[in-house]
Amino acid sequence: MTRARLVLALWLAALVACAAIVAETRISTDLSAFLPRSPSPAQQVLVDQVREGAVSRLLLLALHGAPADALGTLSRNLATQLEREPALASVNNGADTALDVERDFLWRRRYVLSPDVVPARFTASGLHDALMRDQELLTSGLAPLLKRTLPGDPTGEMLTIIDAFQGETPPHSRNGLWFSPDDSRALLMVETRAAGFDIDAQQQALARIDDALDAARQETLGAAAARLLVTGPGVFAVHTRATTQQDAERLSLIAAVLIAGLLLAVYRSPRLLALGLLPVLCGALSGFAAVSLRFGFVHGITLGFGITLMGESADYAIYLFAQTAPATTPAATLARIWPTLLLGALTSVAGFSAMVFSSFSGFAQLGLFSITGLLVALAATRWLLPALLPQGFAAVEARLFARLPLMLMRHARRLRLPVLALLLAAAALIAWHRGGFWQEDLSSLSPIPAQDQQLDHALRHDIGAPDVRYLVIATAASEEAALEASERVSARLRALTDDKLIAGFDAPDRYLPSEAAQRARQAALPDDPTLSQRLQEALVGLAFRANLFAPFLADVATARQASPIQRSDVPPRLALKLSSLLFERGDWTAVLPLRGVADPQRVAQGIAGLGEAGTVFVDLKAESDRLLQDYQREAVLLALVGSLVILVLLAIGLRSPMRVLLVVTPLAAAVLLTVALLTAGGGKLSIFNLVGLLLIVAVGSNYCLFFERQRRQAGEAERTLASLVLANLCTVIGFGVLSFSRIPVLHDIGLTVAAGTLLSLFLGAMLSASGGMPAPADAADADASHRPAP
Amino acid sequence: MTSGSDPALTRRTAVTAALLLWAFPAAQAAPFGLDQLMAELRQVKSATGRFVERKELHMLDKPVEASGTLIYLAPDQMQKITISPSWERLAVRQSTLTIEQEGKTRSFSLADRPEIGAFVESIRSTLAGDLATLERFYTVTLTGDAKDWHLSLVPKERKLQELVKDIRISGSGRSIHTVETEEADSDRSVMRVVEEDIR
Repeated sequence: MTRARLVLALWLAALVACAAIVAETRISTDLSAFLPRSPSPAQQVLVDQVREGAVSRLLLLALHGAPADALGTLSRNLATQLEREPALASVNNGADTALDVERDFLWRRRYVLSPDVVPARFTASGLHDALMRDQELLTSGLAPLLKRTLPGDPTGEMLTIIDAFQGETPPHSRNGLWFSPDDSRALLMVETRAAGFDIDAQQQALARIDDALDAARQETLGAAAARLLVTGPGVFAVHTRATTQQDAERLSLIAAVLIAGLLLAVYRSPRLLALGLLPVLCGALSGFAAVSLRFGFVHGITLGFGITLMGESADYAIYLFAQTAPATTPAATLARIWPTLLLGALTSVAGFSAMVFSSFSGFAQLGLFSITGLLVALAATRWLLPALLPQGFAAVEARLFARLPLMLMRHARRLRLPVLALLLAAAALIAWHRGGFWQEDLSSLSPIPAQDQQLDHALRHDIGAPDVRYLVIATAASEEAALEASERVSARLRALTDDKLIAGFDAPDRYLPSEAAQRARQAALPDDPTLSQRLQEALVGLAFRANLFAPFLADVATARQASPIQRSDVPPRLALKLSSLLFERGDWTAVLPLRGVADPQRVAQGIAGLGEAGTVFVDLKAESDRLLQDYQREAVLLALVGSLVILVLLAIGLRSPMRVLLVVTPLAAAVLLTVALLTAGGGKLSIFNLVGLLLIVAVGSNYCLFFERQRRQAGEAERTLASLVLANLCTVIGFGVLSFSRIPVLHDIGLTVAAGTLLSLFLGAMLSASGGMPAPADAADADASHRPAP
Repeated sequence: MTSGSDPALTRRTAVTAALLLWAFPAAQAAPFGLDQLMAELRQVKSATGRFVERKELHMLDKPVEASGTLIYLAPDQMQKITISPSWERLAVRQSTLTIEQEGKTRSFSLADRPEIGAFVESIRSTLAGDLATLERFYTVTLTGDAKDWHLSLVPKERKLQELVKDIRISGSGRSIHTVETEEADSDRSVMRVVEEDIR
């Protein structure tokens, strides 16, 4: 008794410690743990950038559902409201693209910003060519744009700079405001002050935007019906957190009610129910504590996954309660079923271990959580429950549950043929499956709902900023070196643009040239007397009025003396852009997104031709396809290794190839049927489904082990079967409820395991029972003598 | 008899007078008006013509000349293709202006570039008979008659006034003959349209 008390005291202490850890734990819903993580540094940089960089602060707003004129007025009024909003750094609806500060900066620093500033341009003949062109431009349609700048900029540096900034076409606008090409949506771009991963701040910003819309709607005639769509990393983060929270809370509540209700109906004793759920509680607490200790936080999705533990770890107590024969003690039952329980638990642990080794980082949490939870729940059942069970504990009456498997077992021989036919049909279905087995889209793994992804895509298309597919990435040890690398790439890309291989590109050196380049451009500018003499020579034979170019001489003289542009000199909007193209992450990285790539292969060759180790041409689509293939290969490998480990465990535990075969056959059949079900009608498998298949083996083996251990005594057989069905039901409820989650990882695993374990129970009953069917239960005898005490 | 016929005569005279009084002011007010001109111009589905443009620019000592083809397609497409002194195509479609020169294409949003937008919109809206758009940017006055009309466009907004002093468009019937522009910096241009083909 003292030993039992000691166990209890230690247990309580451990529980309190776990609770303390869990209470201190930060719950995170940060997407990145469950975003597909990239193995290549190039793409890792991009993922991180999307999470933390300037891009993460941009929100795209679309007003729709009212006549275009009303939407236009609403867009203006909303912009006015939003500009007063301190949570937002900038608001743009197309009305004010004058960008005076930016234009002024570009104008003042044009002689160090323009890549065309080279000595040859400022010789007499270079100037003459430029002036000839100017004279032509003055008669052209561009004249109104150039007139004001011509006296200060006869070599056209500003035009070079502006041209480089310009995309193929500006966003479509209607009466000066951004609209979708069909005029059905008015578009606005908003930049939040908070970073995209600051979900609370993003949520507040979104709420403020809604408030501003309400206010703007009241000021706008005929806009009552107008609706607002918002997309951007901040929206994704907020939505995903909400979804995760809702799913974790709602689904675990549903699962808890279902499981507790089922157990209460069977146990008919709140006390037994509480005791039965005790291992679950211990398991969950220690699982979360372990995750918290290992990772420093618990992800919301892991919380959701906790539901499955509820279903699984309840099994151990069920086996104990339902298999304790009348007139025996729980301790005796435990001693009897312990080898099977332990082996079952170990196979489960082997399955979840595979997740721990996955490079899909979120999996590691799920795996660690389940392993810890299962082992602790098992230990609680083994050492805690016997001490807590009431004196004279009698078996739980659950024979009702044994009927179906008993029937299946009785008819096992006759059922074998239909089962075989079913399996053959499943195999045929899989063999003739068309269009590939695998999800081909990396985004299908993302916790961001497909609907949100589609909206984002549509709005980006509207504003003429479709997702970038091709880019060049240059990494270097310092900011200056990264800029110099960017300049070399830019030079090559300009040549590729001239060859029409790409339509255009963006580059960090456009906003901030390297100091070396700035100095070289300054050095290309002649001193004042030289320049004015060359200008005089260049003007001969042209019609320009005398002294027209005095501002040019003055500006060049200033530019020669000016100190180089520092990063802090770049005005806000350009700086925002720059920060997304040039950043430090260990090394310095320059990103050059390409537009309108006509021939990716030749562009790749052109970039490779630079012969720079740190510079790579990236095709994001190919990269993400490769990433998905890597995940799939890894998932297949993990599933195979996991299955192999389980097989070895079974071989050690059962010490007989025949027995292993009896346990494994129904599992393989269950997996086959599940795959057929999941892929029926052209369905595709995700890596989550695949991990789910491994878990079918890991979890389903528990039931098959018990079937295989079937005893011939009728009473015990019935009790065992009843406990199996009950335990299985709890597991199916746990995973089944999870299949209603909107988060792919939870949904896919939930669906796969729920279907597979249910199948493995039935198939186990038909295929695993080694000793054939038990003798028919003598109902009268069993009922009369073994009914539990009221 | 006379007394008997008098009332009838009087009545007839009164009716005639009334009719005349009712009809005459209308006939009197029928002189050529903006609405009529715009309605006429709206009939045009497409128009092409050659143009010769002469510019006097304050930056240059002597005037420069350009010539080429103008194409208008109702309601909102316009192209100005310059052939001499060098090839250039200026195309407007909806709110986007595209300028193509020596294989280099630049696109602008008209609203972003009032310097160009003002000119383009004045000519395009006139061609389209779109008085509402014209009056959004300009104070519009019309002189002359249907056979020889003169439109004067004076910018309403300060921003536009800083660029354009006035634009004068003359024509007869549905065709435009000249567009004269005087900019705020005193640059002037006169564009004559000849050999017009209007459908």
